[in-house]
Amino acid sequence: MTRRRREWLTAYLYLAPGLALTAVFVYWPLVASTTLSFYDWNLVSPTWSAVGWQNYRELIGNRAFWLALVNTGKAAVAFTALTVMVPLFLAVAVLRVSGRWRDVYRALLFSPTVISMAIACAVWLWMFHPLYGVINSLLRVVGIQGPAWLSSGDSAIWAIIIVTVWKTFGFNFVLYVAGLLAIPAEMYEAARVDGASERQLFRYITIPLLAPTTLFVLLTTFILSPQNLFVPTQILTQGGPNEASNNLGYLVYQLGFEYFRVGYASAAATLIFLLFLGLTALQFYLAESRIHYGR
Amino acid sequence: MTIWLVLLALLTAVSVAPPATEAADPVTIEYWHINSPTFGGPAVKELVQVFEAKHPGIKIAEKFQPGVYTGLMQQLQVSLAAKRPPAVAQIGYNLTAYAAGQFPHVLLDKYRQSDPAFFKGIPDNIMALGNLSGGLHGIPFGVSTPVMYYNPDLFQAAGLNPDQPPQTWAELLKMGQTIKDKTGKFAVYLQQPNDEWIDQTLIWGNGGRPLSEDGKRVGWDSPQAIEAMQMWQDMVTKTKIAANLTWEEGLQAFLSGHIAMCLTTIGRQDHMRKNASGFHVRAVPVPRFGSKPLATATGGNVLMIFATDPTQEKAAWEWIKFLLSPEGATIWTRGTGYLPPRAELATDPKYLKPFFDEAPMMRAALQTFPYAKPWVSFPGARGLEITKILIKAREEVLEGKRPAEPILKEASQQANALLPR
Repeated sequence: MTRRRREWLTAYLYLAPGLALTAVFVYWPLVASTTLSFYDWNLVSPTWSAVGWQNYRELIGNRAFWLALVNTGKAAVAFTALTVMVPLFLAVAVLRVSGRWRDVYRALLFSPTVISMAIACAVWLWMFHPLYGVINSLLRVVGIQGPAWLSSGDSAIWAIIIVTVWKTFGFNFVLYVAGLLAIPAEMYEAARVDGASERQLFRYITIPLLAPTTLFVLLTTFILSPQNLFVPTQILTQGGPNEASNNLGYLVYQLGFEYFRVGYASAAATLIFLLFLGLTALQFYLAESRIHYGR
Repeated sequence: MTIWLVLLALLTAVSVAPPATEAADPVTIEYWHINSPTFGGPAVKELVQVFEAKHPGIKIAEKFQPGVYTGLMQQLQVSLAAKRPPAVAQIGYNLTAYAAGQFPHVLLDKYRQSDPAFFKGIPDNIMALGNLSGGLHGIPFGVSTPVMYYNPDLFQAAGLNPDQPPQTWAELLKMGQTIKDKTGKFAVYLQQPNDEWIDQTLIWGNGGRPLSEDGKRVGWDSPQAIEAMQMWQDMVTKTKIAANLTWEEGLQAFLSGHIAMCLTTIGRQDHMRKNASGFHVRAVPVPRFGSKPLATATGGNVLMIFATDPTQEKAAWEWIKFLLSPEGATIWTRGTGYLPPRAELATDPKYLKPFFDEAPMMRAALQTFPYAKPWVSFPGARGLEITKILIKAREEVLEGKRPAEPILKEASQQANALLPR
């Protein structure tokens, strides 16, 4: 056995446990679900009946699918704005605070992340109450008549987005704090000596050196946000009223576990997978060309 | 010498005594129910306690399933797929046809021979709720009717007589306007959970049918259904006397005195009585449509057995027998407000008479009971989707962007296409 060959074998031996787990828990379900998308099955019946492309055709004609797609798009845009940009500015701000207050702010901003989503939703349910919830009460103080958050088709998806942003935003905040602390202080000092303004420091040092963190935050937010929408949707609106707060993740659940059309749900899951695969690849391609890793 | 003999005798006695089988290894069965802490949950816990004390060989693992009957069905289907179903589960009357047709379960006809005493005293028309397509699929457990709870203080504040709540929808609209004008509060909330029980009640009440007699068409596009749903829409969007809230929001708003009347199940009477803050809640039958007779959808559930192992099945049957026994039914009715399947318990001083005497709200249910219609369960493999189509139609109606007629016509068309031909 040549040395090269031995190295090759050793490498795969080390990789084997990880590869095996990924194969069993990621790729096998992926293949199984894609296969299932060409069948009609209700989870319980012993027979699967083959239906060809029927599930996909029905999905394309389903109003709920398009609504869910639009809503997920709205959520993705809102998440990019609110859970990528806002945490960045907050992280910069918190790091300027010195002493004990810095930790207090850090803990406060991170706390929603560690609260159980289901419990948080129960609390939000009361905050959204149109008659005596705290949100509409505050809005009334400034003279705005708040909507019936959860039962109006215009606001239901925004209620879900607000809860999800509140819940996920702390995690990104912590990532940015870590990213900021990793930027060597000498760089700022050197720039200051050269007479750079605060704005210039932020623009020419902080933003470029944070780029790897930003890419990570963008990717995880983008991929995880449709999944994070699920729990608040299930607890607060069940996708209603009349599909107005439905989204892709919830739709798959609805088709599969509310109507028990597992094949149909798998078709939706497969389409969503392809969509996100494409978007993620695009994002990678665009970001990769503009990011500087390392020292 | 004698002492040795005695000892020997004792030892022999101990060694031949039968082992205490029941205490050694109890059977544990799962019981799935929809009884949240605000909806009969404490009664379930009490039932388990009393049952386990009587049957040391059986343990009941009771599991609350959220999302009412639809939510329970979802979990059940998943557990059946995983081949780990609960031994006993509550199946709402609206889903019985689906469960009986799609899920593997135990047919209960055989117990008619082995346990004739159990079946005595349960009237045939009640037993019929579990008797579908020729077999006994489940034992009817809870029987409930919708009633109208109301807050007498808000009636008083509006200058109305709290002893004379509305009996017809026309009266409700009139009094509702007065309540809104005088108190600034909403007059009424009709329950809006993830089911269409109250919708079916409105359709039956206005002389329509949720499903045609031959089962080939839904009745949501009938003039009676459209009229009833349009009335609900007008109350929400035109006169604004009715609140359009999610289920939890609506219930809380009524209990905290923000809404004068609330249409929901008698199964909540215990919760209503204990949680109405600052007022003594009362209940009357739901309003009638003009001179048409009262007609309401019957709520509640059958108990079905999904156990696959004979020991589990036997324990499950014991549990069901206990739940429907005079003792079990008394705990259940007291803790919820569900009417007992054995009607004679209501007048028996040993069991429920004292409760019915003390709980005047139960009278509303008893008055409604003779007019109870089925809560229609849509047949076929797509029955669950049909229910959801109708729930979505209601949500759109209450949003008020279009009148009820086109919404219900479109929904009915979609639903009819999914009914078995």
